[in-house]
Formats: sequence, C-alpha cells, structure tokens
Amino acid sequence: MEVLAYFPDYLSGLWITTTASLLSFAAALVLGVITAVFRRSGIWPLKVIGAVYVEVIRNTPSLVQIFLIFFGLPSIGIHLPAFEAGVIALAINGGAYLAEIIRAGLTKVPSGQFEAARTLGLGRTDTFFHVVFPQAARYVYPPVINEFIQIILATSLLSTVALNELTGTALVVNSLTFQTLVAFAVALVLYLILTNVVSFAAAWLGRRMFHPPLQLRQERQHGKTLLKRLTIMAGGR
Amino acid sequence: MIVDVKDVRKSFGDVEVLKGIDLSVEKGEVIVIIGASGSGKSTLLRTINNLETIDSGEIWVDGTAVHDPKAAHNVHRDVGMVFQQFNLFPHLTALKNVTLALRRVKRMSKDEAEKVAMEALAKVGLAEKAGNYPQQLSGGQQQRVAIARALAMAPKIMLFDEATSALDPELVGEVTKVMRDLAQEGMTMLVVTHEMGFARDTADRVLFVDSGVIVEQGAPEQIFTAPSNPRTQQFLHRVLEA
Ligand SMILES: Nc1ncnc2c1ncn2[C@@H]1O[C@H](COP(=O)(O)OP(=O)(O)OP(=O)(O)O)[C@@H](O)[C@H]1O
Ligand SMILES: [Mg+2]
Repeated sequence: MEVLAYFPDYLSGLWITTTASLLSFAAALVLGVITAVFRRSGIWPLKVIGAVYVEVIRNTPSLVQIFLIFFGLPSIGIHLPAFEAGVIALAINGGAYLAEIIRAGLTKVPSGQFEAARTLGLGRTDTFFHVVFPQAARYVYPPVINEFIQIILATSLLSTVALNELTGTALVVNSLTFQTLVAFAVALVLYLILTNVVSFAAAWLGRRMFHPPLQLRQERQHGKTLLKRLTIMAGGR
Repeated sequence: MIVDVKDVRKSFGDVEVLKGIDLSVEKGEVIVIIGASGSGKSTLLRTINNLETIDSGEIWVDGTAVHDPKAAHNVHRDVGMVFQQFNLFPHLTALKNVTLALRRVKRMSKDEAEKVAMEALAKVGLAEKAGNYPQQLSGGQQQRVAIARALAMAPKIMLFDEATSALDPELVGEVTKVMRDLAQEGMTMLVVTHEMGFARDTADRVLFVDSGVIVEQGAPEQIFTAPSNPRTQQFLHRVLEA
C-alpha cells in the first residue's frame, strides 16, 4: 500500500506529538498547581488572577487560543516556531483545566489533617508540601492523567499551524496519495497506541507511587477493549 | 501553674459557646472534662492550643500568652493534642508520621529523628509496627501512633479530645492504658472523655461543663459520689445508668 511507504513520516509525526504532549503537560501541571494555590491563597490579587485565567481559558475555543499565540503574537514582535507556540498554547490551556482539578483535590483533604499539622508546629509551607499536597495528589491523579490524554488529543489541533505532528503528517500523506481512509486510519491507530501506553504507564505508576496502591480501574478496562480491538484487527476473535 | 485560663469567652456567630471559663492547672495534674454533647468541651481544649481563637479573656500556657496573636504560635512547642479521629497522615508510615515534625520543626537529623520516634513508638507498644501505614493498623493502634507522634515532640501538656470515642469497645483499653501510663509518669493532661472509669481512677480533678460554663469541679470521688450541682447529678445519672 502506498500509504505505508510514508510510515517513517508517521513515526516522526508521532514523535513530535509525543514530545509536544509531554512538554505541554509538564508545563500545564506546574501552571495548574500555581494557579490552584493562587486561588486558595488569602491574597485577593492572586485569587483574581487565578480566577480570570481559568475563566478565560475554559470559556474560549482551544483553536482560537492557539491561533492567538501563533498568528497573533508576531504582530507585537514575538515570533515563535509552530512547535514552541503550540506547546505554550496547550500548556496555558491545560493549566486552566488542571488548576480546577487540583483545587478540587486540595479541598478534599480533611480539616483534621491541617489541625494535626498545626498542633505539631508545622508551618504553612511544610504543611502544604508534606501533608496536604501528597494527599491531594492521590485524589487528583486519575483526573490529571485524564487531562494528560486530553492534551495528547489536543495536539492534533497544532496541524492547523503547519506543525507536522501525527495529524499534520496524515494530512500531508492524504494529499500525496489520495488514500484518505488509510491515511487517517494509520494516524488513528497510532493515537490509540500512544494514549493506551500512557494509560498503562499511569496505572502502573499509580500502583507504585501511592499507599495503598492506587488502582485506575477505568484505564484498565480501556486497555482491555483496545486489546480486543487489536485482536479483531489482527484477524482474531 | 502551667495552664491558666482567665474568664475566657468564645462565640461561633451568635452562639456563645464558652461563657467565662476560669481554670488553673498545676504541673503534673490530670484533669478530666465531662459534660453533655455541645456543652463546649472540645472548644475549651481547642482554645488552649490556639486551634480556636478566643473573643475575650486570657490563656497562659507555661508563660506563653495564647490570647496574644503574636505569641500564640509558640504554644505548639508545649502542647500536644490527640484527636477523636486520630488524624494520622495516611500517606506516611507510622514512623514517618512521628518523624515528620521532629525533622521539619525540631530540625533533627534523620537518624536522630528516627531514634526519638522509635522510642515514642516503643512507649505505646508499637515499635514493630513502625513501617506500617495507618490503614494497615487497627483503630487502637492508629490512636497509639497518634499519641506517640504528639509525645515525640516532648510536650509539657497533652490534650485528649475523646481519644477513645471512635474506637470499637474492645480497643478502648489499649489506648486508656497508654494514657494511664502517661499520667503515672507525671504528664500534665487535659482529657475530654466519656470513659468514667478512666475519670474515676486517673483524674486528679474532674470538671463538669454545661452550656459553656464549668458548673462543678472536684476530686473524682466527690464528683461521682456526691455531686452538689443538680445538673451534674442529672448528667452523671444519665451516663452511669446507660
Ligand atoms: N467551628 C464551629 N462553628 C460553629 N459552631 C461550632 C463550631 N465548633 C463548635 N461549634 C458549636 O459550639 C458548641 C460547642 O461545641 P463543642 O464541640 O465544643 O462541644 P463538645 O462539648 O465538645 O460536644 P461533643 O461532646 O459533641 O464533642 C456546639 O453547639 C457546636 O455546634
Ligand atoms: Mg467534642
């Protein structure tokens, strides 16, 4: 098949998708934690900044946010390559969603934990990093991983700023071969593999990182259905 | 005098919960506070270690003016507290629960903190459970770890707020035993409890609190056998009959 001749291009597209996703997610996580802490702080300017950021991002299309950074910033003299612009846009976007997830997680830590920490003389910083954050991390782990998957899927939007990530590659292959169905099906399967690898890795990590081990049951079921799908595709039952 | 509470008042919204509390505690004294639900027992304990601020009055703990917002944070050096719900840190082992404040607050080295923590855990009979997480321990064991965590900080005063109320009946004894041992060693203790047996045999003084007022106080034998206030009589009648 003609499309398969472009398999190396798909792989380099997958690589760009993977690195863009990882970088965006890492930056979004930092932004999310900072914003969540801002919104819980007693300092009102920080609260307002956090709230405005979250509201603006969550109530506007991701695509417009990407366009603003890639096409809009050059007009004020900031020229960013597509990859950098895309990562920044997705980080800012993901950060707003993660901020809300993390904020909810911090709220779930019982007040008795704060009281115990205070009674022992632990300061605010120690209480946050040694008592509150590790517990909140456990609560938010599943939705945070889910947001990571969303970021992976959102990288396909970066094809609109001419980044040859996975979707961009499929678009190019389609225009060269006109085998539309196969060209996009290959991209689809590669996305599926990537997201499932992430799910499995996250479930594995969750079982080791937390006490007691955190089970991501939904992810496992998700993984099973993929396995079934692959068997079917391979001609099995 | 190690604790001195002078005419303390405290309201939550419109409801006055402490209505002029006066209380002096001598070093080594074991005080048991009894009273109906909602009478203000927890609030009284919590004002002493600054978990609740007060509206008026004074609270002195070993020279620290707890009523003074600038000085209040120092109270945590002298006062340990044990809660009804244990409030152990669930993500840390028993040992780490104890070492955390030793390291972060007392700035001990890892070895030093672990040595002190193991001594505290041994004292409550749980040295061999040091590596367990709270959810791998029974309620009684969790509460003993919580006591060890407080004791490791070498407090001068220990507050117990219904430390056994969340426990299955068969686990109460192991916790009250630790508390009795502590009293024996001369720890100054303020204990809110429904365990009248503990109050009888361990308390130096029993306080009966009703609607935010200390209505009656005295030696356990006096309070339990010859209470002078009708409300104390009523309360004890209800509790001891049950
Ligand atoms: N944070 C709070 N906000 C508002 N009201 C409170 C608060 N804490 C306690 N109260 C109220 O103050 C009163 C005294 O409460 P407190 O917890 O001191 O009683 P208690 O004697 O310890 O009761 P119990 O035996 O049920 O523990 C109750 O009416 C309670 O509802
Ligand atoms: Mg209470």
